[in-house]
Amino acid sequence: MITTADLKEKLIDGLGLEDIEVDEIGDDMPLFGDEGLGLDSVDAIEITLIIEKEFGVKIKDAGEESGIFSTVNTLVAYINENK
Amino acid sequence: MRIYDMDKKCYVEVAKVENPTTKVEQLSDAMYCYKHGIFDIIYDKSQPALRAHVESFGEDFLKQDEMQFLYFTSGTTGTPTGVYKTKDNSKKQAWALIDTLPKDMKFNRIVTTVPFVHIYGVDIGGVVAYEMDIDVWVKENFVPEELAREAQVAGTLVVTTPLFIKALNRIKQDMKFDKAYFLTSTAPLLPEDAKEFHEHYKSSVMQLFASTETGMMAYKVDDETVLRAYDCVEIAESDNMLNISSPFVAQKILDNTIKKVEFPFQTEDIVEMLSPHEFKLLGRSSNLAKIAGKRISTLQIEGIVESLEGVECALVKVRKDEKALRDEILDIYIESNRDIKQKELKEELKKVFGSIHIVFKLYNGMIITKSSVGKKIGFKEKN
Repeated sequence: MITTADLKEKLIDGLGLEDIEVDEIGDDMPLFGDEGLGLDSVDAIEITLIIEKEFGVKIKDAGEESGIFSTVNTLVAYINENK
Repeated sequence: MRIYDMDKKCYVEVAKVENPTTKVEQLSDAMYCYKHGIFDIIYDKSQPALRAHVESFGEDFLKQDEMQFLYFTSGTTGTPTGVYKTKDNSKKQAWALIDTLPKDMKFNRIVTTVPFVHIYGVDIGGVVAYEMDIDVWVKENFVPEELAREAQVAGTLVVTTPLFIKALNRIKQDMKFDKAYFLTSTAPLLPEDAKEFHEHYKSSVMQLFASTETGMMAYKVDDETVLRAYDCVEIAESDNMLNISSPFVAQKILDNTIKKVEFPFQTEDIVEMLSPHEFKLLGRSSNLAKIAGKRISTLQIEGIVESLEGVECALVKVRKDEKALRDEILDIYIESNRDIKQKELKEELKKVFGSIHIVFKLYNGMIITKSSVGKKIGFKEKN
């Protein structure tokens, strides 16, 4: 089982989110948009690659599974279900 | 031409859509206007400043006789410029591109990852499909795995960006795309990346060299380094900069007021001419970075940094990270009496550039060195 902290570390490293600490990213904070972490569509592609490389889980469909990109919690749930 | 909505798994009628927001709606509306010769204004309505700028003119003022589209630059290097195109401009451009596609391949659909709020999406993803009378497959969000599945289908012309080529290289699917062909936009794709893609997936990538102001100018395939101008596009070089006269844009722009443009048009691209129709791209005017497909002035960024309390001077340099999906990253060197935080600057940039995600790295504790005439020439660490 991976934890939200595991994923946050990989996201900070993989997306180059310098100046952001693990505990500054809330488990339910929106990853995209102005109200959350402010990531964009390029980051979404990068996240799919990070998850495949670091956790061996492939995201095969952004449409059906778009909800998984909402927050760290939704991503972790998807990874643990598909690992 | 039909539009296939990949999310809803159904064909969508080409129709007039008021305030289109999704990719399918944007394409449907633009192609309805193209089909019926109805004037349409194309820009990214999710950018508040750009939207306010366009709406300030009023549609009656912007509508010009015989014009098909009015495209807008992002305005990240100053006031957004509107560029007019007639239907004939777009049609000629589409056929110039179609004529360069491999003659031994027959295309039956376009699959596109791009939005239809810019010239690339509408003119290439939409008008080319319309002129070829083939379907366009559209999806709101693609992940690389999905694009890989679609690219295995014979007769697929993929209209995408270098980002997806690099992402496909990284996932290294055990697949062949030898019956598909890829088009990418102007953002740079390194020859090594194009070569790796070609060798692994057995498919080719044609890179289109274009801008909103000039339309398509030239192209190259896979790891070629020389760009070939389209037959009807005249190119020349003046003071190392590319000059262009093109039948793909009307000689009419909106720059606070509607103006006639004299050709040749001087671009910001630094080139080496190799023949009357071939050139090498050496770089861009040094104070421009290209981020998320938009040209951003580094001088403007420096101005924003220097407006922060305690900052005496800032120097912005553009760095290409070859391993990253993003093309360019800004290194910002700061001379100040306090450390500037990433979050603080991010908030300031958001006020000016809206939701455009600018990736930067801050270097506090620097001294910016200047020439005798005050030009910033470098940096060194304090003490």
